[in-house]
Amino acid sequence: MIRSTSPVAELGVRAATPPALMVGMFLFFAGHNRPGGGFAAGLIIGAVVALRWMVGLRTTVVPSQLMAAGIVIVAGVALAPVLFGSVVLDQAVWSTSLPVLGKVKAGSAAIFDIGVSAIVVGLVIAVIDGLSPATTSAPEGQSS
Amino acid sequence: MVLRLAAIPPLVSTVVALGVLLGSSGDAPSLDVSWVPGLDLEFVFQIDSLAALMTLLVSGIGVLVFVYANGYFGPTAAGTGRFATTLLAFSTAMLGLVWADSVWTLFVFWEATSITSFLLVGHKSVDAAARLAARRALLITAGGGLALLAGLLILADRAGTTRLDDMGPVGGTAGGVAAALVLVAAATKSAQFPFHVWLPGAMAAPTPVSAYLHSATMVKAGVLLVALLGPALGETDVWKPVGIGFGLLSAFWGAIGALRHTDAKLILAWGTVSQLGLMIVLLSAGSGKAVFAAVSLILAHAVFKAALFMVVGEIDVRAGTRDISALSGLGSRMPLAAMVAVVSGASMAGVPPLLGFTAKEAAIEAALKMDGLEALVVGFAVIGGSVLTVAYTVRLLLGLFGPSDQPATDIADRRPAMAFPSALLAVGSVLGYVFLGTVNSLVRPAAVQVQPEAEVYYLLRWPGITTAFLISVAIVVAGSTVGWLVFRRPLGVPSPVGAGVVDRGTDGVLSVARFVTGRVQHGSLPVYMAVMAMTVIVAALPFAFDVEPSAIYLWDSPMQGVLAVVVVGAAVLTSGMASSRLGAALGLGSVGVAVSGLFVVHGAPDLALTQLLVETVIVVGFVLGLGHLTRRFPSAKAGWRLLRLVVSVCVGGAVALALASSASNPSGVPPLEDLTVAAVDEGGGNNLVNVILTDVRALDTLGEVVVLAVAALGILALTESGRSRKEEVA
Repeated sequence: MIRSTSPVAELGVRAATPPALMVGMFLFFAGHNRPGGGFAAGLIIGAVVALRWMVGLRTTVVPSQLMAAGIVIVAGVALAPVLFGSVVLDQAVWSTSLPVLGKVKAGSAAIFDIGVSAIVVGLVIAVIDGLSPATTSAPEGQSS
Repeated sequence: MVLRLAAIPPLVSTVVALGVLLGSSGDAPSLDVSWVPGLDLEFVFQIDSLAALMTLLVSGIGVLVFVYANGYFGPTAAGTGRFATTLLAFSTAMLGLVWADSVWTLFVFWEATSITSFLLVGHKSVDAAARLAARRALLITAGGGLALLAGLLILADRAGTTRLDDMGPVGGTAGGVAAALVLVAAATKSAQFPFHVWLPGAMAAPTPVSAYLHSATMVKAGVLLVALLGPALGETDVWKPVGIGFGLLSAFWGAIGALRHTDAKLILAWGTVSQLGLMIVLLSAGSGKAVFAAVSLILAHAVFKAALFMVVGEIDVRAGTRDISALSGLGSRMPLAAMVAVVSGASMAGVPPLLGFTAKEAAIEAALKMDGLEALVVGFAVIGGSVLTVAYTVRLLLGLFGPSDQPATDIADRRPAMAFPSALLAVGSVLGYVFLGTVNSLVRPAAVQVQPEAEVYYLLRWPGITTAFLISVAIVVAGSTVGWLVFRRPLGVPSPVGAGVVDRGTDGVLSVARFVTGRVQHGSLPVYMAVMAMTVIVAALPFAFDVEPSAIYLWDSPMQGVLAVVVVGAAVLTSGMASSRLGAALGLGSVGVAVSGLFVVHGAPDLALTQLLVETVIVVGFVLGLGHLTRRFPSAKAGWRLLRLVVSVCVGGAVALALASSASNPSGVPPLEDLTVAAVDEGGGNNLVNVILTDVRALDTLGEVVVLAVAALGILALTESGRSRKEEVA
């Protein structure tokens, strides 16, 4: 019932994926000054994965590895300042000028946010993977 | 290969330790890393004389043990990578413990040695006996760790400092309690009676582990603790009697155990209990000479006991057994091993010209220099313990290499990597005697650090015909006689009573836990939900008393009213009316969307966005999960429906009450101004919420995402196990 085999649905999801991911990326970078951020971006990307899952487009990402990577990034950003003689989680801000974009400012908080996104995406995939009837066959006589 | 590589780090620290010991007498190298300054939590390391001596033992014997392990496991054994990693981790923890100069650093590494030792004892994890022994060792030593923590807390509070260096003597009742706790901790780690029960079982570990942990390093941690805290706690009423009591009982009980067992490794383990008891007696007595003798014993014991363990391991591997009643004719077949064992055993028995002799001589002289009851008790421990030590040494050597009426045991090919380290240690026992001046210059500063009066003492190569020497001769004669007699007429192997008591206790706790878990976690989802709901209701009740009716108003804008009606309507429709599960899920989703609308009206776009996204993902999850269930809800009895309705309304009311109460009692002005400035200046962003999340309160976020990941791993594990169970059924 859940997993559609409709080619229209599949095509639609395929078409929707790039703009949805764009929205996710936008939210990620917008988070600095406007609503958005790593958590929201992670949810959007996770939702894209879920949507693709429903029409049979599987991802090969292993959720536990993605979350592990996220934790390593987050913990790394947290501990890195200690190596430079600062306190845990101290933030570094770099700014530079790029040819097209003009003045660009980046903080270590952005890297921290990448880790948060990775964990959220991993979580969503883990939940979807766990609940999806496509992989876990439903009890006999109850699925429709 | 991996074991050979692993020998490199200890080799480096051996060289460093030698540099400190033999180098200029300048300040001890130290390192100071602050962690939580407000709580005085810091990692403080200092390599003073005692630490350098211990480093030499930990690293020097570590190098030999890695070489030995290479031969022990052979080129084809599996799991050597894990073994090398764990052993190196242990070695690091032990060095941290030895170098620690703050009570907290000491405690952290103390526990780290317990945990790594657990992993090493249980290295053969398919062996149930090894797992049981590992658990026993962990429970006893980690339990002692708790006593240590309590003792150190009291000590640091009374002494007014956490630095071991600056600690003055502490007295009074508090000091007495601290002393008792610290001694109990030392007794658990150093396998003192009645906490020794873990050590014989720990012989299930691979022999390199026993040669390392159970001779030179981990079991010495308790002795080291007594040495380190002796200056601070030695003047309490408790220290001497309790410490000497532990040591005395262990010196005798351990030696008696060593005389009764026939497993050569167990003989050595019980002998270690006895020897450590002797060291604790001497350190607790605390006179200059006694401390000096104890430190010499630490050095001598590590050298000869590690060598003996290695020889027994080699016999075990090559002859297939290490039971002295089953071995025969090894003296001529393994001449090198026999020589190493005889030299190391003689050092253990205190026979010249070996390092063990001078240490034992110093111990006897220390006892002779005391007065009254103390002289009697310490003398009894030293002389009695030594007689029994000679006895079990003689029995062990006769059993391994002596005459037997059985046919000679078959042995496998030589393993040079196993023979070489033990031979080197045996040579060390001889060289220690030859270069006694160097040994003196290692031992004396270490002893002086514990007890300044030790300054005037030194180890003697040849004491002359003194009282102590005559006693020594008598000890060897009496001990050899006892050993010969016991070898002729075995005493019978005792059953491990103490270990059984510990195991029964552990099993009892586990069965109580299973009983409680079975009752509390019965697996009924509706009951779990009801318990949670009831908890919320009870927790919210106190708020009912401070709701200020005048502070309550209908809405900021009418839009909120509209949304509220949508929320309530959707909720009612969902919970009350929907007969299909999908409909209920969608209804709940629309509640969530309407709530995010409320956030928008209230001017919180970040919250609204997150809420909307979370709600979307939840609905997707719902829809996927519903695939496992029937389309429609099963029909429920009217009574149950009513009960659910009542619980739901009560929870809703309770939450509303709590919110109304918090709205009527604002606790000060929100620190919006400060946060805005901090966010823009330090966080470098204009979105306050996100700057708080990723910078100002990033530690919270860190904790939250870790919780999130752990929860997700739990989900993965649950669904995986559900899947494999289904596969089993199919």
